[in-house]
Amino acid sequence: MSRPTGYMRRVKHLFLNLRASPPLSFIRGLSQKRSIRLTSEGTKFLLFTFGIGLAAINTGNNLFYLLFAMMLSLIVISGLLSEHCLKRLEFHRHVPDLIIANEPASITLSVTNRNRHLPSFSLRFCDVVEGNDVDRGLMIPLLPAQSSVLLSYPLLATKRGRIRIEATRAHTLFPFGLFLKKGRYPMETHLLVSPPIKPLTLRFIDELVSEGQGESIPQRGDGTQLYNLRLYRPGDDSRAIHWMTTARTSQLIVRETEAEDQRRITVILSIVAPEECDALFERSVTFVASLLSQLTERTYPVRLIVGTVDSGLGSGSGHLFAMLRVLALCERRVPGTGSVQYGESLPLMHNDERGYTVAVVPWSDQEASASPVQADRILHAAQLEELTHAF
Amino acid sequence: MLFDRAFTISSVLLAATAFSGLVLVQSVPLWLAFPTVIILIISLLRAEGKGIIRRAMARVTVSATLWNVLLICAFLILLIDLTLVSQDLLPAGIHFLVVLLDIKLLTLQQRHDYRHLYAISLMAILASAALTTDAWFIPIFLLYLLAAVWTLLLYHLTHETNDISPGVTPSSTAAGHAAFPSGITHRFFWWTNGTALMTIALTLTIFFLIPRIGAGMFQKTSGETLRTTGFSDRVDLGTIGSVKQDPQIVMRVELPDQPAVEKDRLYLRGLAYDQYNGRSWNHSETRRRSLNSVDEGRVFLVRPTDLPPGSRSIPIRQDILLEPLDTAVLFAAPFAERVSGEFLTVLTDTIGGLYLSSPPSSRIRYSVTSHVTRLAQDERTASTLVYPDFIRSHYLQVPEESQLVADLAHRVTQEATTPFGRVLAVHQHLLGNYRYSLEGDTATLSHPLEEFLFTRKTGYCEHYATAMVVMLRTIGIPARLVTGFLATEWNEYGGYFTVRQRDAHAWVEVYFPSSGWIIMDPTPTTDTLVATNRWESVRHLGESFRLQWDRLFVRYSANDQLAVVHGVRESSGALREQASHWGSLISAPIEKGFSGLVHVAHTFRPGTLELITGVVVVGLALLLLILRDRIGLWATTHLPTSHPQLAIAHLYTHMVRTVEKHGVHKSPSATANEFASLVEREWKAASPMVADVIALYHQGRYSRTPLTASELSRAAEQVGRLQSLPHTPR
Repeated sequence: MSRPTGYMRRVKHLFLNLRASPPLSFIRGLSQKRSIRLTSEGTKFLLFTFGIGLAAINTGNNLFYLLFAMMLSLIVISGLLSEHCLKRLEFHRHVPDLIIANEPASITLSVTNRNRHLPSFSLRFCDVVEGNDVDRGLMIPLLPAQSSVLLSYPLLATKRGRIRIEATRAHTLFPFGLFLKKGRYPMETHLLVSPPIKPLTLRFIDELVSEGQGESIPQRGDGTQLYNLRLYRPGDDSRAIHWMTTARTSQLIVRETEAEDQRRITVILSIVAPEECDALFERSVTFVASLLSQLTERTYPVRLIVGTVDSGLGSGSGHLFAMLRVLALCERRVPGTGSVQYGESLPLMHNDERGYTVAVVPWSDQEASASPVQADRILHAAQLEELTHAF
Repeated sequence: MLFDRAFTISSVLLAATAFSGLVLVQSVPLWLAFPTVIILIISLLRAEGKGIIRRAMARVTVSATLWNVLLICAFLILLIDLTLVSQDLLPAGIHFLVVLLDIKLLTLQQRHDYRHLYAISLMAILASAALTTDAWFIPIFLLYLLAAVWTLLLYHLTHETNDISPGVTPSSTAAGHAAFPSGITHRFFWWTNGTALMTIALTLTIFFLIPRIGAGMFQKTSGETLRTTGFSDRVDLGTIGSVKQDPQIVMRVELPDQPAVEKDRLYLRGLAYDQYNGRSWNHSETRRRSLNSVDEGRVFLVRPTDLPPGSRSIPIRQDILLEPLDTAVLFAAPFAERVSGEFLTVLTDTIGGLYLSSPPSSRIRYSVTSHVTRLAQDERTASTLVYPDFIRSHYLQVPEESQLVADLAHRVTQEATTPFGRVLAVHQHLLGNYRYSLEGDTATLSHPLEEFLFTRKTGYCEHYATAMVVMLRTIGIPARLVTGFLATEWNEYGGYFTVRQRDAHAWVEVYFPSSGWIIMDPTPTTDTLVATNRWESVRHLGESFRLQWDRLFVRYSANDQLAVVHGVRESSGALREQASHWGSLISAPIEKGFSGLVHVAHTFRPGTLELITGVVVVGLALLLLILRDRIGLWATTHLPTSHPQLAIAHLYTHMVRTVEKHGVHKSPSATANEFASLVEREWKAASPMVADVIALYHQGRYSRTPLTASELSRAAEQVGRLQSLPHTPR
């Protein structure tokens, strides 16, 4: 029994070696790079060609052979010219760092024809996503030799996450429309899609803000409390000069005040939820993104904690995009799996550090006696359902 | 011209070409051809956009139902045609095809209408190919192919241009993006014609490469044969006259070995006759035997029974393309020794005639090697000749009522002292005293020979030849009558004789014991048109072209393919031999010189040889280094020509550095043009080169037109020239 097994192993080994051999690799690569599909006109043309060939063989009439040769040469010329159209094309894709789901983003594709003398005709382009061709409606009827063109097209992502565009596929029906020849040009591009930003009710935001006793961060701004004393710099308001210190130090010293309206808000998103809560979890992510967007618009310093990922405190659009990136990539975890459990993610912080804390918990363990999350306000599934039912 | 319009015109022209093919095979009756031509003209004018026609056609709207009714009518006509009129599928089918073509031309609107039109056109050109083998098919085919390439291309492009939506047009261009032309540009015109030419070349290549299987069920086996006379077992005197006005081509004869025969006439022997009964010639023996075959049955050997040993003869090889005749006789120059061709069997009779087993149904090609005998010198002067009994018994027969002819023969030859002299006397008598004429039918006369010799004194080849044979026989010299063709029309373009029906001829073979049968032709030469005028040359050219067409296309076969393969193999062998021969021719003096050098080197002191070699190598390297820029080698081979911008910038820097080496410095703030002006002031000789490089630099760097490879090499040459200039800045 051992002999056949060994024999089979050797055969399998030989087969694997053969597959990995350079000629077969080359052929496999070639087949991936190019593919040909018959059009309906092409099918009819081939049927006619076959018929004429049959007639030529049956009758021995050389003029039939001549017509048969004409049909075959048209097929060959078609193949040569279409290959020429797809040869030496170069692509570059320009994508934004982050796009928002359900909002159109503009993607730019640069196509260059590196052919020295001959132009390319009738080119159409597709993105290859997960092995499938996605038609973006891009077409160039003529691309002259040694020239390039920029094409832009809108991309609408429907869900958050990462989109991987593996390659660009160019295809052409040139010259006779008998065959659709496709060429694959590997060009991996990653797109990050944040959750969609939905409008939240003003009342909810106002409530949230006023409810919390957001503590002011020692930050410059308009206020009455002293924040800092520093040397006068040209352009400083002369009314801010602290005369007493100036007199004492014999240097112009100005007084900086502490901003009064700044409140720190921390948003915690629990990522633990079972399979059946997936829809709510996704809506919760959207809710958090929308909340963060609203708070950033109101210039609140905000902080996001998702699982073990902490965005840190910050404000402004840059910080918002960083938080949206975190939300784009966060993944739901089934309870009881993984290292991060419900509520474990919240790091130990003093109230001063985290400010007003809002926890978004799409699912909570009913058996647990108390919520492990320590937050000023916890939004549970029922509240989230209510807040996100319009999403 | 706009794509749409060009597309319609090319489609109509495609249909017109296919229709022309049908007209040329004479398969379309006038009642159908005339309206089709009108419809084609209307379609062309409508496609051209002529106002009146277009408006008129726009007004005439015919419902789809009516067209369907018309189609049904066309089909009914086909049935009637098939059952009552033509009673043959092919002509009826062609008529139906033409009616469909007409209907489709009148309803040409949607894209599927165009597709139907192409299918009908293809069927029409197929029908033409089925019905003809004539050379006019070449221009029709080429036009069809050209129109097909244009039509298919425009069919696709019109579809594509209609598909372009404004939303997906390029948003911006990086470098010279050209908008898609909406019409036929100059470049597009030549590009498409180039594609068509490429297609034609590829078509021919594929045509010659496709293996000819020839194992079909419907091979063409029968065809029309030419009617001819004079090649049956019995020939009435005067029958050849009926074909002497017929210009139809019977055969073409090539002489591949370019033998030393005169190109003005070649006798092609058909049959010989030994018995004359006063009105007709026939054979005394009708037995035929098969010839022995060699070389896998393709070569047949004719036993030279009538060729005595020691006779003087010249070999002639002939390649004969024989049209289908209503006789099984194979024609060849006298006297055939070997016959090769695609025959199952070849027969021969006792007097040297060659036959197939049955008349050929289509053109046949065969090769024959013959030996033309010449009269031995001793027999020219011999006073008496002794003939074998077989010859005497067969070739001295005369009809009983030939006494008048015998008297005439004796009278004519009374002064001759030798047999050959008598032969010449009879020959001269006939040549000098009778007039060649095709007038007057002697086939119905009871004594046609006497009528010719004594009453009318006019006649043609049969009369002359019969008279000579009978006259010679009456004075005891064996002779026989031969019928065949006298080829006189030499085609200088194709290198062959064209033989027509009117070249049918009769002549005489006279027997000499040592020399064998000698050809004598007592018929005077008729006044024929000399092929000197231009039209005659054109006709010969056309005729040669038709032969080549027939040979290369119509009759191209698996054997030809094998012959090409053998030819290639043999020529490659010959080429190898030739190359080795040339190699030895070249290497022999080199080896000789080298051995001399070695001999001289042995006389050097140790180390001298190494020193000389080193000096030579270093010298060559230095020479290459000095000349590299002058010959432009380095500059052109190292240019990144795939990136012309980089290349020209590189050359520009090189140029600036070169000029600076000569003391003309470019300040960092100076532009290229300012630098050019500086060079013009400081170093006049370098100015043209610098100006040219700078112009190319500007074009390559800043214009939308990228530099071509030739422009780059021009710039490199200019830099090289600049480096070779002497150092003479002002």
